Amino acid sequence: MLDELEHVLDDLLARAGGASRLTGDAIVADDLGKTYPDGTEAVRGVTLRVRAGECYGLLGPNGAGKSTTVGMLGTLVRPTAGRALVAGFDVMAQPREVRRRIGFAMQDVGVDAFATARELLVLQGRLHGVSRAEAAARARLLLELVDLADVAGQRLAGFSGGMQRRVDLASALIHLPPIVFLDEPTEGLDPRARTAIWDALDQLRRSLGVTVVLTTHYMDEADRLCDRLGIIDRGTVVTEGTPAKLKASVGSASLEDVYLHYTGRAFAAGDTDLREAA
Amino acid sequence: MTAPASLLLAHRTIRQFPRNPILLGFSFAPVLMMFLVFGALFEGVTRLPGFPTDNYYEYLAPTAVLLTTVPGIGNAAVALASDFHSRYVYKLLTSPISAGSVILGRLLGDSVRLIAQAVAVLALAIALGAHVETGIPGAIVMILLGTALGIVTFGVLTANLALRTGDPAAVQAILPMAYLLIFLTSAYQQPEQIDSPVMRTIVDANPAEHVLRPMRELMLTGYDWGHIGIAVAVLAALALIGIPLTIRNYRTIYR
Repeated sequence: MLDELEHVLDDLLARAGGASRLTGDAIVADDLGKTYPDGTEAVRGVTLRVRAGECYGLLGPNGAGKSTTVGMLGTLVRPTAGRALVAGFDVMAQPREVRRRIGFAMQDVGVDAFATARELLVLQGRLHGVSRAEAAARARLLLELVDLADVAGQRLAGFSGGMQRRVDLASALIHLPPIVFLDEPTEGLDPRARTAIWDALDQLRRSLGVTVVLTTHYMDEADRLCDRLGIIDRGTVVTEGTPAKLKASVGSASLEDVYLHYTGRAFAAGDTDLREAA
Repeated sequence: MTAPASLLLAHRTIRQFPRNPILLGFSFAPVLMMFLVFGALFEGVTRLPGFPTDNYYEYLAPTAVLLTTVPGIGNAAVALASDFHSRYVYKLLTSPISAGSVILGRLLGDSVRLIAQAVAVLALAIALGAHVETGIPGAIVMILLGTALGIVTFGVLTANLALRTGDPAAVQAILPMAYLLIFLTSAYQQPEQIDSPVMRTIVDANPAEHVLRPMRELMLTGYDWGHIGIAVAVLAALALIGIPLTIRNYRTIYR
């Protein structure tokens, strides 16, 4: 499996030859906040920096504000407070410049049920300005990457939720963006599919130098993938650091203990004190 | 980027049609049935003094075009609402395109379907003995007027409903209202043959009547540039109301 991935990624890397890589800070958020018109405060003052090439994880229960935060960074949710720069562009003032440089795989996957997997990827690539031939070539490679090459010509209506999620992930990469947002990328996937996505992400980062921001409430996923973690609770980042440093700070080998220490309560994935929006 | 994105999304819409034969069939079957049934039922109207043609299908053909384009554009809004409901629209909006191009692409793609269906209606009318007085150019103008009316009336109404609710069922529920817009015109008999003064007032006030009139003239008598000008003005006025309203509702896409 990994050998095949290496081969596919080598091809992708060759195709990404002209793609711009980032240096320095890929993402800067200062006191970013979101309050909905009904008064719900989904995110209150998130401040973080993500360096180019880094994998940064936002770890927290459902409703903590993870999806709203990446929604704001990905220009799909309008911040009501603070400021954020993604790839050097302001998410409020220059949303299209931001979108040119990001890929976004969503928590609630939306696909065109009448399209085939290949068609969905090619369209997404074309909307990003990739030529038809190039988009088709990349779609073939990316569908191999997510182990869906055999069903590339089948309509998405017949795909399982996990397969749709993998198509969504592949479509987020079709324009070979320097920054990728992954909102709970393995939620609802079986262990084999989760491992396949983890391998693919590892390889992508190593080969293409992609900056990844992912949200998750899986401790093992955060531990395995992320260079640094921000623990988010009730709409704000309560602590951040490398997984090892966070665990050392509380004298435990478990991220759950880290969470308990910094939030004052046990980790419960169903915790919904704040509204999860995006 | 906006224009090419709209075209790419229009292509996506067109590609969906043959994969959704139920939409194609059931959006068109009622029009054909009404055309054939009403054409047979009201055939005797042609014997009234002053009726402009002895072939009722000829009189009815512009109405059938409107019955195709006005309710038919509502299916574009149903599809748009489905994209919201499935959240695919947010996937599209992660690319560097405007929200407007998503809606424009959908309308353009569905306009192609409506134009093809309107051509089929006219072809059926011709097969039933009707004759287009102004020939192919007049038929093109007729279809364009009908399609434009569909977009600026029911297209705008249902697109806004789709934007506000994101619920395909809510949009679908309003589709029968489109027939009311057309029935409250001189669709089936000449204005002077409508007995009720109240109904005549309603018909005169109905913007669809001012578009249908020149369409029927193109079919039966020839170009009346005055009436075509009024139709274009009515369409422009409706667009001036509808487009800002739709732009306002675009903002609800980004929460």
